[in-house]
Amino acid sequence: MSPETPLSGRQPKAVRSALAVLEEVVAAGPGVTAKEISAALKLPPATTYRLLNLLVGEEYLVRLPDLRGFALGRRAGRLATPVAVRPPAAARAIVEHLRQRVRWGVHLASYAAGRLTLIDPDPDHPPSDAALLARYPHVSALGKLLLADQPDWRAIVRELRSFTGRTIVEADHLGAELAEVARTGLARQCGELQERRGCLAVAIRDVVSGELVAGLAVSGPAERVAEPNGELVALVRDHAGQLAPLLA
Amino acid sequence: MPLPPRVLPPLRRESPMSGLDRRNLGPLQVFAQSISAAAPSAAMAAAPAVAAAAAGSGVLWSFVVATVLALLIGLGIGQFTRRMAAAGSLYSLTAKGLGAVAAFACGCALLVGYGLLTTAALTGSGVYLQDLLGRAGIEVGWGLVAGIVLVLGALATVCVLRGVRLSAQVVLVTEAVSITLMLVVFGLLLVRVGPDLAPAAPDRGVAGIAAGVLPALGAFIGFEAAASFGVEARRPFRTVPRAVQGTAALCGVLYLVAAYTQVVGLGRLPGGLAGQPEPVSTLAALQRLPWLSYLLDLGIAASFFACALATGSALVRVLLSMGREGVLPAALGRTHPRYRTPHVAILVALPLATLLPVVLVATGTSTSSAFVTLLNAAVFGYLVAYLLVCVAAPVFLHRIGELTRGALAAAAITAPALLAALVVFTLDNLGGPYPALFGAFVLAGLAWLGWLRARRPAQLARIGIYDETSEADLLGGER
Repeated sequence: MSPETPLSGRQPKAVRSALAVLEEVVAAGPGVTAKEISAALKLPPATTYRLLNLLVGEEYLVRLPDLRGFALGRRAGRLATPVAVRPPAAARAIVEHLRQRVRWGVHLASYAAGRLTLIDPDPDHPPSDAALLARYPHVSALGKLLLADQPDWRAIVRELRSFTGRTIVEADHLGAELAEVARTGLARQCGELQERRGCLAVAIRDVVSGELVAGLAVSGPAERVAEPNGELVALVRDHAGQLAPLLA
Repeated sequence: MPLPPRVLPPLRRESPMSGLDRRNLGPLQVFAQSISAAAPSAAMAAAPAVAAAAAGSGVLWSFVVATVLALLIGLGIGQFTRRMAAAGSLYSLTAKGLGAVAAFACGCALLVGYGLLTTAALTGSGVYLQDLLGRAGIEVGWGLVAGIVLVLGALATVCVLRGVRLSAQVVLVTEAVSITLMLVVFGLLLVRVGPDLAPAAPDRGVAGIAAGVLPALGAFIGFEAAASFGVEARRPFRTVPRAVQGTAALCGVLYLVAAYTQVVGLGRLPGGLAGQPEPVSTLAALQRLPWLSYLLDLGIAASFFACALATGSALVRVLLSMGREGVLPAALGRTHPRYRTPHVAILVALPLATLLPVVLVATGTSTSSAFVTLLNAAVFGYLVAYLLVCVAAPVFLHRIGELTRGALAAAAITAPALLAALVVFTLDNLGGPYPALFGAFVLAGLAWLGWLRARRPAQLARIGIYDETSEADLLGGER
């Protein structure tokens, strides 16, 4: 319904004003009203209201329940790349222990700010490109854990891009799989990113709040990942359990 | 100027509208709901003749005025839907501007409007399928029509029940087929009729044009249906206002094409367009394209079925909101754990809407007169609801400190125009069953309000629930 129009001469000003509005909401804190923003930025009220509604429509901002006040929405979190924090030595030791027990690659990822960041990739079995994993969460087991935890995973997935014949590109199919992942806390991908590679990942949750904080994955040959792997899953879950109190 | 330190107001952990299939409908599906509820295919065939009875050849201008009015109403509704996502449509929106009692009145008007339009649409679908069979030489008694309505009603109930995505998909496909059929019909007629500037000159002056506005506006009712899918739309603050405005604009264009074709094509006949009971079929016969009538009947029947689905979906979402507020029994506020639809409200409302026309037909009312009566009564409900929401918009904007001169001006034009339309409509329908019908609606509403005031004042005050921002929606506020 929205025709693509070329950027006109006036629009850079509008973009600048929209960014100023975002900054003002951050500076003033949650609950700031449209009138206050308009006064602080010396913008005409009608322009301010229009920009605010635009930013709310795009979900960078949310209206608080009184409908007057604004706060940053979850989507605004995507404007900043989270700093990858090196996990504490005790956590790295646990990951290393798992590496010695299995012959597959073992990777630890953080989900800070709703984004997948590898914080302890296996040096001997390097994982796929970190930027690729962050960009297309639907093709990795670690990404599926993140998606399954979202109230609306569609808001995060920009494109269901196909990498191999096995990549899930159908939204309803992916939705059903994510519901299963949410139920079991275990995600799998078998040759969905690279034909011959697959991985298994289990969720690591905050021991108090239950919030998803990290994921522990093992990667290996696709056909082997597809097997039930009862013992392996139990082993990974055990290590994930030990990591939980160290990462939250 | 230093701002005072802020304290974040307490947020809900869960939206009061939880249980619905949240944030799952794409823009096209939301748009289809509004288009379908407005049922432009049916209106293209019927509305120009009705409006022409009052406006003469000025009927084109009547449609222009009605389109502008619909766009202004859409603007008023958009003031709310850009800021809050509700399932209760205009009922929940009015509450944020005018408070509980006005919202309650709007809710009653919507129940009448949505309820009777759903019923009328099912009846209309039956009537046009009956016509289609009749044209093909199959004699159709009332039993068969009742049967058709029952089957369509059951089909609609299942679709609406089995998930909002499914029903939205059915609505989208049905309406696309129906509008395509109508464009074929009118395209062919337009080519035959050829260009003629004569209808631009109204023969009954401004008074005629004004008189034609009300029936023309009647062709738009239902265009706000997207407002009840706020909770379920993926990007509600963007999609819903666009769907409502887009529907008003698209319907306006379709009606102008239809009105133009009919005015020009039937201008030479005695009585012109206004004298024709079945204008498009007559026009098709006149142009030696009688088979067009089959397409026309099929297109209109499909359009009415989509209208019943979309309006029925909106109706049950109003009932859901009222159930959750305690204005109606709490059971109506329940949602199905798997289909994520208000299943109790659906199973109460849609069978009722299906049985009403069957009872009317069985008691000897002719199908077409039952259809017209239901439709007119629905228009009454819609006009009241539109009036209330347009008055509520500037009050709401003032309350949250975002009133602009433009919004105030829009309301200042729309509200008096709608009030006038409502008065004219009521006076026009002083004969027949309408005064008794409207009187009964008003009395029932007042009795209900009185009961709520006496027994459930807290619930009455709580009217206007919507999909509030919850902790999970805030940056860093996740769980």
